[in-house]
Amino acid sequence: MVIAERTTAPAPEVQGVVPSGQSWDAIVIGAGHNGLVAAAYLARAGLATLVVERREQVGGIAATDEVKSGARVPAVAHTVGRFKPSVVRELGLRAHGLTFVAPDVRVFAPSPDGSAITLYDDVERTADGLRVRSGHDAATYAGFDRLVRSIGRFLAELGGAAPPDIHAPSFGDALTGLKLTRAFRGLGKHDARSVLRVLPMAVADFVAESFETDGLRGVLAARGIQNTAMGPWSAGTTAVFLADSAGNDGGAAGQTVYARGGPGALSAALAAAVQAAGGRIRTGAQVVHITTNDGRASGVVLASGEEIPARIVVAGIDPKQVLTGLVDPVTLGPGLRWRAVNIRTPGTVAKVNLALAGLPVFTAAGKGPEAERLLRGRIVIAPGIDYVERAFDASKYGELSPAPYLEATIPSLIDPTLVDDPPAGARRAARQVMSIHLQYAPYTLREGSWAARRDELGDLALRTLEAYAPGITRLVVGRQVLSPLDLENDYGLTGGHPYHAEPSLDSFFMWRPLLGSARYRLPVDGLYLAGSGAHPGGGITGIPGQNAAREILSDWKKRRR
Amino acid sequence: MARTYDAVIIGGGHNGLVSAAYLARAGMSTLVLEKRELLGGAAVTEEIFPGFRFSVASYVVSLLRPEIIRELNLPAHGLDILPLDGTFTPLQGDYLWRVNDHGRTIRELRRWSKLDAEAYEEYGQLMVEMARFIKPILSIVPPDPTGLDPRQFGPLAGLARSFQRLPEKQQAVFVQLMTMSAADFLAQWFETDPLKATMSASGIIGTYQGVKSPGTAYVLLHHYMGEIDGAFRAWGIPRGGTGGVSNAIGSAAQAQGAEIRLEAPVARIMTRAGRAVGVALESGEEIYARHVLSSVDSRLTYLGLIEPGTLEPEFEDEVRRFKFRGSSGKVNLAVDRLPNFTCLPGEGEHLRGAISYSASIEDMERAYDDAKYGHWSRRPYIDMIIPTLVDPSMAPPGKHVISCFVQYAPYRLDPSLGSWDDNREAFGDAVIDRIAEVAPNIREIILHRQVLTPLDMERRFGLTEGNIFQGELSLEQLFFNRPVPGYARFRTPIRDLWLCGSATHPGGGIMGANGRIAAMEVLRAAGRKVA
Repeated sequence: MVIAERTTAPAPEVQGVVPSGQSWDAIVIGAGHNGLVAAAYLARAGLATLVVERREQVGGIAATDEVKSGARVPAVAHTVGRFKPSVVRELGLRAHGLTFVAPDVRVFAPSPDGSAITLYDDVERTADGLRVRSGHDAATYAGFDRLVRSIGRFLAELGGAAPPDIHAPSFGDALTGLKLTRAFRGLGKHDARSVLRVLPMAVADFVAESFETDGLRGVLAARGIQNTAMGPWSAGTTAVFLADSAGNDGGAAGQTVYARGGPGALSAALAAAVQAAGGRIRTGAQVVHITTNDGRASGVVLASGEEIPARIVVAGIDPKQVLTGLVDPVTLGPGLRWRAVNIRTPGTVAKVNLALAGLPVFTAAGKGPEAERLLRGRIVIAPGIDYVERAFDASKYGELSPAPYLEATIPSLIDPTLVDDPPAGARRAARQVMSIHLQYAPYTLREGSWAARRDELGDLALRTLEAYAPGITRLVVGRQVLSPLDLENDYGLTGGHPYHAEPSLDSFFMWRPLLGSARYRLPVDGLYLAGSGAHPGGGITGIPGQNAAREILSDWKKRRR
Repeated sequence: MARTYDAVIIGGGHNGLVSAAYLARAGMSTLVLEKRELLGGAAVTEEIFPGFRFSVASYVVSLLRPEIIRELNLPAHGLDILPLDGTFTPLQGDYLWRVNDHGRTIRELRRWSKLDAEAYEEYGQLMVEMARFIKPILSIVPPDPTGLDPRQFGPLAGLARSFQRLPEKQQAVFVQLMTMSAADFLAQWFETDPLKATMSASGIIGTYQGVKSPGTAYVLLHHYMGEIDGAFRAWGIPRGGTGGVSNAIGSAAQAQGAEIRLEAPVARIMTRAGRAVGVALESGEEIYARHVLSSVDSRLTYLGLIEPGTLEPEFEDEVRRFKFRGSSGKVNLAVDRLPNFTCLPGEGEHLRGAISYSASIEDMERAYDDAKYGHWSRRPYIDMIIPTLVDPSMAPPGKHVISCFVQYAPYRLDPSLGSWDDNREAFGDAVIDRIAEVAPNIREIILHRQVLTPLDMERRFGLTEGNIFQGELSLEQLFFNRPVPGYARFRTPIRDLWLCGSATHPGGGIMGANGRIAAMEVLRAAGRKVA
């Protein structure tokens, strides 16, 4: 495992084989970050917990991968600033080697005209920088940031709570309801009204209410469409934008936080926490079936044919896969199956990872230490609302965006541990790594297949960047491309969707992933959902895993009584 | 000093007239003031070309609340709704034709897809159930979620209880209806592209959204509302055009004692110490009233008719924030004879319903793509009706009128295109070109053509930015947010000033619900018995 080498933590002891015959309280399917979070909490509570992972490596999309020998890069997700602080604290992840690094530049967004918009962690500094473009926007930025933080705090409360039971609201639900009502009232009348008005809005409209320059609108709105099959004009993208700032220090600019050693270091720390609590992890073990006994989940069957019984089964993988692939359709019944089949997973994200012989020169950043500082943030290519919307348009018809939206990071600038010192005299050695998130690459292509068209994605990302950083292509010494199909095949994401289910208004709170199954309990007794397909959704947050563990343990205690 | 009315109503559109009728019925002295020389607002019939009468703007009726028809006894005042039979979708070399005869429709669908024919039955039943559940929402006063008075949540609690009683699948489908795009919602049932496209079209009428835009599924329900009311057919056209509806309501209002004045444009609403006390006409005449109701949209009312400085600046900002963005146009044609469709030639029954130019989801969505960037759709979606086939009185013998509702025509054009005055005929040509793709004789039969752009609708009917619903029916502009968060209960920040038009809950369309609920609220506030 690559990830273990560079972290200061002891390498987690991940075993390919766990002695059979042991009886498990809980089996967690999938060692993605949420699966590991849930497993760690369950193990700490004393449950004999086994995590089974299809891949050879833990972490799911929070992984670090080698793009070229000696150069490591965030495999899929590249920032981890949404990860919930209480999970870090409660699971003691820092003691397991997790270190966060955060640059003061959050976003560097170059424009085609050679200028750039820079968003800093400091609101006033950002506003100062905006003044050259628009005095109006400079003046409204702080108010916008305040509103985003205010609503973000409310959404964090919402995200930390299990949605209430619609059939039989319990006392606990009533308490949650009271807590949320208090949080809602705490917003004050103005912000409370804003929440209800803006959540279902198109993010293009939301940012236009505060800002007049298209460039700033585009950069901000891009966060509302990240990882979705929606454009900035789609209703509900404001909710995506605000959720990205919920429970973290993101505010208007959004967070830009790296895990030292790459996102894999976060997963390694989580795996270590699972094991330190007595849980076990088994990689290279693909679950093909969830067994039931008397309508209750009773264990899993692996691709090898091996059966592992357990008292409960927790799925960290996406709900569509669980309900349509792993559970017997008869157990589910036709109505639920129909609904599960219709869980929408329209992947639109591709990933291009590069090893570079040197730092690319962005026209808008120039050269030297100041340029290096600017490029530590997220480099966002979204120079206007129409630009992003047009990128989206193509995907509606099964076409790759001719001019895509990109979010790139050069994590090696702030975390030199990612790249080994090149051997003396090496000419084409990697000195930096770059991670590029590209949208929109629709999972379902109208023409051709991703297997045949994968390289187009890499070329497209570079061609797009050339306009802002001429010569970048010549610096490439290693390249890795993941199409949505690769995300499905390699990472087990149905439809290649990094969020497990589209984060649209039809998959939100009490109806994520399905109305009646939003409380981490799937429609089979003893079967739970702990991944991004559950409330509050995707992103490297650990929240679904933490919430699920809480609900599971509450059921567990009732059972034992 | 002249007399003081109990209520004066600004605007003689269908909602203003409904309010007037209810207020007069409860014994209030009521005066309606209409700017134009005829009643109806956007529901008018006008003789645009000699001998040819048109429902100039709004052209079909589906949602007019049955309780209004009953309580105001509208049939006695001349309301006669003639059924429109079915929807015909012409394609290249084929067609999809759904009629009111269920068996025939199923046979037609089976020709396309056996699965879809089966799903259609299940879908229809489910939607009727959904419509039954949602209907009460149309007649409640939205609560203010940030308000503290628990009483206002009464209707909502009732709704929550009936939601809990729904089977889980219906609950899930209801949530989907409120949040999904029409295209995604329909894709769960159907595979036939023209079917999905034609059904989804009802989700985008009057909106600046595409069939793939989240939030458009809800309007699909409206098609099923009529069915459960049972009082009349789902879709129909009023005899004499949509002006027939307005005239019937106007007549009912007058029969209750309401006065109606035409060509009486209001210049401003008079306020004294934070209360509305009457209106001043453009002529300078002042009319005093205990209650002032405005049926025009929120922007015209708050920013156009109220003395600047009366309202809080923050409130005015909220008013400005309310989105209009008209997206549709209208092309009215006077024709010598009927259009002839290549896929089903001749003058058959297929011409007697709606003719929908919605061949595929992609066609619909690409029409929207054009509009997003400030261009009218190069190949627009058209909903065509030939009213003379059901009501021959609208044209000279043997001749016909054709009404084409067209989307998209964005109010704000890309600056490079110039103004709508420079684009009107080009837009009209695009509509004719689209029709000619499937009915090539269209160019030969046209005697006269009237093209109405969103700008024309704004100028002619006083609809801000040409929005036919007095404000977009997007999710954030519905229910307790319509038209201003905190002021969705027909009340305004000015005492005794009320809103009663489509800008209020439950929105636009010839529904009349807004006018009726507003009148009830006024009566309640005045301590009058609600008759």
